[in-house]
Amino acid sequence: MPVPILKQGGVLIVSVQAALTDNDLVALRDDLAEKVGRFRSHGVVIDVSALDVMDSFATRTLRGIAETTALRGAKTVVVGIQPDVAFSMTLLGLTLDGVATALDLDEGMDLLAAPIRRRGDDGA
Amino acid sequence: MAAKALPTSESLLLAGMDLTEEDIERRKAFLEFREDDVERLRGLNDVAEKYADSVIEDLYEHFLSYEETRAFFKDSATLSRVKKMQKEYFLQLTQGSYGLSYIANRIKVGLVHQRIALDVKWYLGAYNFYLRAVMDRLFEGHTKKPNGAIAVLRSLMKLVFLDISLAIQTYVRTIQQQQAAIRELSTPVLLVRPRLLMVPIIGVIDSQRAQQLTESLLGAIRINRAKVVVMDITGVAAVDSKVANHVIQTVAAARLMGADVIVTGLSADVAQSLVALGVDLSRIKSVGDLQGGLEEAERMLGYQVVPLAERPTAAQRP
Repeated sequence: MPVPILKQGGVLIVSVQAALTDNDLVALRDDLAEKVGRFRSHGVVIDVSALDVMDSFATRTLRGIAETTALRGAKTVVVGIQPDVAFSMTLLGLTLDGVATALDLDEGMDLLAAPIRRRGDDGA
Repeated sequence: MAAKALPTSESLLLAGMDLTEEDIERRKAFLEFREDDVERLRGLNDVAEKYADSVIEDLYEHFLSYEETRAFFKDSATLSRVKKMQKEYFLQLTQGSYGLSYIANRIKVGLVHQRIALDVKWYLGAYNFYLRAVMDRLFEGHTKKPNGAIAVLRSLMKLVFLDISLAIQTYVRTIQQQQAAIRELSTPVLLVRPRLLMVPIIGVIDSQRAQQLTESLLGAIRINRAKVVVMDITGVAAVDSKVANHVIQTVAAARLMGADVIVTGLSADVAQSLVALGVDLSRIKSVGDLQGGLEEAERMLGYQVVPLAERPTAAQRP
């Protein structure tokens, strides 16, 4: 199932609604990389609040997306990681280093609007 | 578990100590405490009746000659009461019934001693005195056939060690309960300002508590929409690499939810030992004390705390 990518001003919003297969993730990465350039976006927000599992492949792909879009001039923020997902991710050592994170879509938009403090940059 | 009808107080006492009839039988079997031991002890009953008073008198004379044990007998009423109880116990040793009520009684006595905070060393010392006193009198009565005395003594030793194990168990049990209580002391997650949480951690961080802490912190981050968390570990007894790793994990989990964690209260010693251990703390933002941590958090959130007197007046405001 392809993931819808919405354009809101200079920001692309990806709302993940269901668990993604590895192929979906790869398709999303390619799609985003292309659209960031086409829409000349400066930011990408990926909302994963509907996910209750985040495995190593998903984590790696998210990081890949963040790095790819950064090279194309857009900052990626992953938002809406649920508390228990965050907890199990840290237990597995999947800490999404170098990727900005925010509580929810609002926060993510704020972070992109005022990129004073680039969270995630200091630790990576 | 055998579901025999027990007097409730006794079964409760045993259940509280996690003791079942089976356990007690296993203990007796381990001590090789068998029917012939019971018989031998029962045969000693007459002798015990005869010497009970003198043994008890000796024992309490011994207690009273040491400051530490004397302190437990404040007045003569207490003294005569415990002497009476001691005599009952002494006679029970040779009455040949070592069933559940005997066991429950031992536990009760152990609990009393633990409650009055009698140190184990005096408790064991008293048992030793007991055995020696009984030994002397046994050999007095058995001068003709010392082998018989030795056999009886062996039986008595088994029983006394059974009693000691039960009493010591009450001590250990209490320590375990206290540890559990400390572990269960919840770690509060406090909202200091909108979007600013504070977590004061006091006591010991083990993996179980770290997990509990992380879960409640993540929940609080979502509910309060927190952006910054100040975690104060001034009250953590010992910070080693394990504790540091727990802290690092909690920080990483909070970051996944978009919250920054500032760790405060690392003392000079702790900081030095962590560096010496080579713990990688590069991902942790750390500020010396709680005040500094809160100030930093306020800065990150765009607050500025200004004394009332220095508040800009209406004219100065843009």
